Amino acid sequence: MENSGSIFDRALIALDHIDRRIIYLFVLFSLTIPLVKGIKLDPAPFETANSFFETIATFDKSKGKIALIASDWGPNTKAENQAQMEVAIEHLMREKIPFALTSLSVFSKPFLEKIPNKIANRLNEEGGPYTWKYGVDWVNIGYRPNGSIMIQSLAKSKDLKKFWIADAKSTPLKNIKMLEDVRTIKDIGLLLEFTGSVGAFDAWVEYFSVDGYKPKFLHGCTSITIPEARTYMASGQLDGLHEGLAGSAYYEKLLSNSYPDREIGQAWKMNTGLAFAQAIIICFILLGNTRIILNSISNLIGNSLKIFTTDND
Amino acid sequence: MTETKTSKFITISLFGALILMSLLSLGYFSSQPISRQLKGWEIFIGGIATLAIYSFLVKENPVYRFFEHLYIGIATGITVVLGFKTFLWPKFFKPLLGFSVQTFPDGSIYQPYNNYILLYLLPMCLGLLYYCILTKRYAWLAQIAIGFSLGASGGLAFKGFFNQVIPQLVDSFKSFHISFADLSSISLYPFKLPAPVFQAFSNFVFMTVLLSSFFYFFFTFKREEGGVVERFSTTGRWMMMGCFGAFFGTTIMARMSLLVERIQFFIDEWVPTVFSGVIS
Repeated sequence: MENSGSIFDRALIALDHIDRRIIYLFVLFSLTIPLVKGIKLDPAPFETANSFFETIATFDKSKGKIALIASDWGPNTKAENQAQMEVAIEHLMREKIPFALTSLSVFSKPFLEKIPNKIANRLNEEGGPYTWKYGVDWVNIGYRPNGSIMIQSLAKSKDLKKFWIADAKSTPLKNIKMLEDVRTIKDIGLLLEFTGSVGAFDAWVEYFSVDGYKPKFLHGCTSITIPEARTYMASGQLDGLHEGLAGSAYYEKLLSNSYPDREIGQAWKMNTGLAFAQAIIICFILLGNTRIILNSISNLIGNSLKIFTTDND
Repeated sequence: MTETKTSKFITISLFGALILMSLLSLGYFSSQPISRQLKGWEIFIGGIATLAIYSFLVKENPVYRFFEHLYIGIATGITVVLGFKTFLWPKFFKPLLGFSVQTFPDGSIYQPYNNYILLYLLPMCLGLLYYCILTKRYAWLAQIAIGFSLGASGGLAFKGFFNQVIPQLVDSFKSFHISFADLSSISLYPFKLPAPVFQAFSNFVFMTVLLSSFFYFFFTFKREEGGVVERFSTTGRWMMMGCFGAFFGTTIMARMSLLVERIQFFIDEWVPTVFSGVIS
C-alpha cells in the first residue's frame, strides 16, 4: 500500500514516519558546519544591547568609581553567560573602567579567575600603549556565600575593603591599588550581573541598594529567562540587557565597530551556528504542519467525493 | 530480537571505542608534563561524558545510564563537600577554632581571635534543632527553628518585594495621551508613524494585554457565557498562549546554545587533544 501512488505521495508518507534521529542529525550538521567553516552571519540588532553598550561607554570614570561584576553562573549556563561576560569585560577593559568580580555561585570560581586573565592577555597582545594588570584594572573578590544576606550586608557596608577583607588569593584589599578610594556602595557606579538563575538576579535587584542610591544595573541572562528580564528593562530597573547568545553576538559587532582591530570572539561564530539550527527547526515545523494541512485537505476531498458518489447511487 | 541485537551492538561499539581511545590517550598523556596530563584528562573525560549523555538521543543504553548515575553521584558529593568547604569551615569552624587568626604576607594580622565568636554556637544549636524532626518525641523542637527561618525569610521577602515589584507596578500605568511636542517618527515598514502615536498605540496594546490577562484570573463573580467579561478573559487566555509560545521559543534557543557550546568544545579542544594522542 505504502509503495503505491506518486513519488509525492510516497515522500509525504515517508515524512509521516521520519525517524527523529534524522532530525537530530540535521540539527547537528546545521550547527557544526558554520563552526567548522567559520561562517559568520551578521547578528540581529538588539536595542537592549545598545543600551548596555551606551551605559558602559558613558560610565563616570572619576577617581574611586568602579564597576562590580556578579558572575552568578556555572558550567550549566556557560554557553551563554561566558560569552556575555567576556564581551562585557572586554568593553570595561577597553574603556579602562576598573572592576571587581564576585559570585554567589561557587561553581563560578574558576571563571572569575580565567575570563579576565584571558581578555587581558588578548588585549595586551594587541600591542597598544596600555598594559592591563591585575590589581590595577580588576580584582577578583571570589565566591561569597549567603546570597541575599551577603548582598544586603555589602550594600550597607561602611567600608567595602573591611567587608571583603581579602581577594580570592588572600591578598589584603588594602594593598590593591584600584580600591584605594573605594569606600561604600556609592563608589560602585555600575553593577553587571550575569546569571541563568532568576533567583540570583532577583536577589541583586531586591537588595543591592541603599536609601537614595542604586548603581546602574546591567544584566546578562540566558535565553530562557529573556521574557522575565525584559519586564525589568521596561520598568527601568535595568539599564541594559544581554539577551542570550544572540545578544552577546550583537555586542561583539558593536565592539568591532568601535575597535576595528579587535579579534572576533566566539559568540558571533556560535550565534551563526545557532541561526542555522533554528532555521532547520523552523523548516521541520513548517514541513510537519504542511503535511498535516495537506492530509486534512485530502481527507476533506475524499469525504466530499464519497458523499457525492453515495448521493448519485 | 533484532532490536536487542542492535542495542547490544551499539553498547559494545560505544564501550569498545571508549576503551580504545582511553588506551591511546593514556599512552600519549603519560609522556606529557603533569600539568598537561591533567588538562588532557580533563578535556578527554569531559568529551566522553558529553558523548555518553548525548548517546541517549540514539537510544537509551548502559553507557548513558552509567554516566547519568555518575553525574548524580558526583553532584551530590560535590554539594556536601562544597557546603563544608565554602561555608561551614570558613564562616563557622575556622573562626571558632581560631584558625582564622592569620597574618598577611606583609606580617599584619587581619583578624585576631574574638571571644564573641563563641556566640555563633547559639544559632548553630538553633539550626541543629531542625534534625529533631527525625524523632517523633522531639519533632516539636524543629518547629522553633522552622518558625525562626520563616520569620527571617518573610522579613527579607517583604523588603525585596517592594524593591522588585513596586517599580513594575508603577510602570504598568501607561498613558494613552498623544503629545505632538515630539515630532520624530518611527518606521514600521511600509508605514511611518509619528513617535507619539506609536507610543500611545504601544501603551494601548500593553494595557489591553495586562487587563485581559488579569480578567482571566478573576473568579470572584459569575461570568455570563458570551458576555463582554467572558470574551475579554478569553482574549487574556490567547495573550497568555502567545506568551507561553515566546517562553517555549526562548527555551529552544537556550537548549541549542548548550549544544553549540558543546560542539565548539569538541572542535576547539577535544578533537585536537585526543587526536594528538591518537596520531602520535
